[in-house]
Amino acid sequence: MKNRQPLFHVVKRDQAGPGRQLLAYVAAVVLALAVGAMLLSVQDVEPVTFYRQMLTMGIPGSRYPWRAVENFIRLFVPLLIVSLALALAFKMRFWNIGGEGQFIIGAICAGWAAMKLGESLPRPLVVVLMALCGALGGGLYGVFVAALKVRFGTNETLLTLMLNYVALYILQFFAETKADWNFFLDLESARPKFAKFPDNAQMLTIPIGPFNLNLSLVAAVVLCVLIFVYLNYTKRGYEIAVVGDSPNTARYAGMKVGKIIIRTIFLSAALIGMAGAFHVSSAGILSASVTNDVGWTGVVVAWLAKLNTVGIVVASLLITVLQFGCQTASTTYPSIDANFANLLQGVILFIVLAADFFTRFKLVTRSKTGKEAAK
Amino acid sequence: MNDSMSVLTLFLFNIVLVNTPLLYGTVGEIMVEKSGSLDLGVEGTMAVGAIFGYLAGCAANSLAVGLLVSFLAAGLCGLLFSVLTVSLQANQNVTGLTITTFGLGLYFFVGKGIGEKWPSMTGASALVNGFSAIEIPVLSKIPFLGKAVFSQNGLVYLGIAVSVLVWWYLTFTKTGLRLRAVGENPGAADSVGVNILLYKYIHIIAGSGIMGLGGFYMALYMSGSFEGSNCWINGYGWIAIALVIFANWNPVLAILGTLVFGFFNTLQIYSGSLAGTFPGALGWLSAVPPQLYKALPFLITAIVLIASSVRKREGSGQPAALGLNYFREER
Repeated sequence: MKNRQPLFHVVKRDQAGPGRQLLAYVAAVVLALAVGAMLLSVQDVEPVTFYRQMLTMGIPGSRYPWRAVENFIRLFVPLLIVSLALALAFKMRFWNIGGEGQFIIGAICAGWAAMKLGESLPRPLVVVLMALCGALGGGLYGVFVAALKVRFGTNETLLTLMLNYVALYILQFFAETKADWNFFLDLESARPKFAKFPDNAQMLTIPIGPFNLNLSLVAAVVLCVLIFVYLNYTKRGYEIAVVGDSPNTARYAGMKVGKIIIRTIFLSAALIGMAGAFHVSSAGILSASVTNDVGWTGVVVAWLAKLNTVGIVVASLLITVLQFGCQTASTTYPSIDANFANLLQGVILFIVLAADFFTRFKLVTRSKTGKEAAK
Repeated sequence: MNDSMSVLTLFLFNIVLVNTPLLYGTVGEIMVEKSGSLDLGVEGTMAVGAIFGYLAGCAANSLAVGLLVSFLAAGLCGLLFSVLTVSLQANQNVTGLTITTFGLGLYFFVGKGIGEKWPSMTGASALVNGFSAIEIPVLSKIPFLGKAVFSQNGLVYLGIAVSVLVWWYLTFTKTGLRLRAVGENPGAADSVGVNILLYKYIHIIAGSGIMGLGGFYMALYMSGSFEGSNCWINGYGWIAIALVIFANWNPVLAILGTLVFGFFNTLQIYSGSLAGTFPGALGWLSAVPPQLYKALPFLITAIVLIASSVRKREGSGQPAALGLNYFREER
């Protein structure tokens, strides 16, 4: 009889060891850089020089090296917080891809607090109030979707996607509408332009010699630790893990699944809103392109890190180095721009996604299954 | 023809001309989603199709080569998506977003890299001719609608033909029926011998190819001029994802949906001149903030999504297994 069994088939494997996973990541980054090097050579750019400039981010040899570090931190903090927050939602298989929208709403609410309260209250209080307003605004924008999902089973991926653009155009509306009520704008400018925040709404910094440490970095690190503890050592964190694994198990165990989802998504979206507040407070001004695509990049980072808190710190550092480094290095090359980072980022993620398969599944060849059957 | 008539005619004409890429993107995405896969990479796929289609079309000075290459280049994005999500079981949302990031990165990389040597569309007469209006005798002389409907370029008609063809394919053919079964309940389809892997691969690739045609259209509409800051696709891919929902996963309704979304999209540019020409009837248009027109497609889609979930998917064309990977041994 002819053997009709396929050549191999796919079976799930137990979680692969950390060594194997680490190997996959290192291989992904190296491969992506190799693909990038090939592409760069096509454009007549010397890859080694480019990569050296990218990885050092223009810090050595710069007249103001501290300035570069400060700018790096400004990019890093929002990405780190947003990725952490998205991972919370993804752990429950709630596909919040509305990071962009929640970030924008957070930024607008923080901007409101800055313009309304910045003149009259002391600086630390204004900064804290901005963060709280941002968190509340972003949180409500996200929890709206969670409530619909729990109540009616609305598709959260598509709805959060739509709300990103609604938020974006609300922001554009404030940016482009010149009117008496629009306190966001600079009254003296003839063309509509966002006004700078009052001095008391600028993010606090700790001067260390010539370097000004942005306090939002400290806040982000504290948030990392808190989230790590929350997820691993509290009852609520445990509930998130159970709901993510199997909502039915959670239900049988007497957990209120809807309540857990709503609570966690509020937390997730509020953190994203707070990241928006930190960002505008550090920049000292709103802008129509305030997000810098952090809502999208956050999804990539969270996934690269497999939703692991420590992994997210590493992955967001790596992606920020890529982005900031490309931005700096590309200034010396007319044929390359900052978008090269997106290309590399895409290749890294493709390889990690593919490698993931081999850590989750294994191929069993025909001959092997035959032997097993014979036993 | 007096002035007010020409403004109105031009407005209607532009609704069709400017928004046809949406139709291609939407019909492509419908085909992909009917196989049960949610591909959020439309924007990137269209960008890849656009740039390679345009470059090849210019190099060969041929519309057909441009169309073919844009279809194939975008189809490669679809192949990548299929390998990762269908064979390697990767998460569809993440893979789709990565295709967008990667596609836009590639678009700017190629464009910037060519730099000074960028081919201009005026050098490729076949592309210019292919994109110029075809006047259908008699019908194109109908006031208002004649110019909008019967005096468009060939790619507009091709887009409508593709939508009707895909609709017929999905609704009336045996393979179309099986495809819908794969999207609704892959386990059941598998048990009656439908090759899930093959169906998903073919339709994701073909759907992505159709999106690429929309990108090529966009390249020609922008006269092939590459700008370092803005991609030609300029968010159309995202509107297309919204339009799929608005059209209830029906390619023929997508034509109608394109006109509705296109109406708002074009109104944003024309509200000033319409208000100026008809101060009595349409004067209020200039008071509406233009950002509202941009937001409306997404706002309407959000409302449609919520409304259809409240009604528990009754009559919804959304495939039941949308966004879920199929793993045979977990059936």
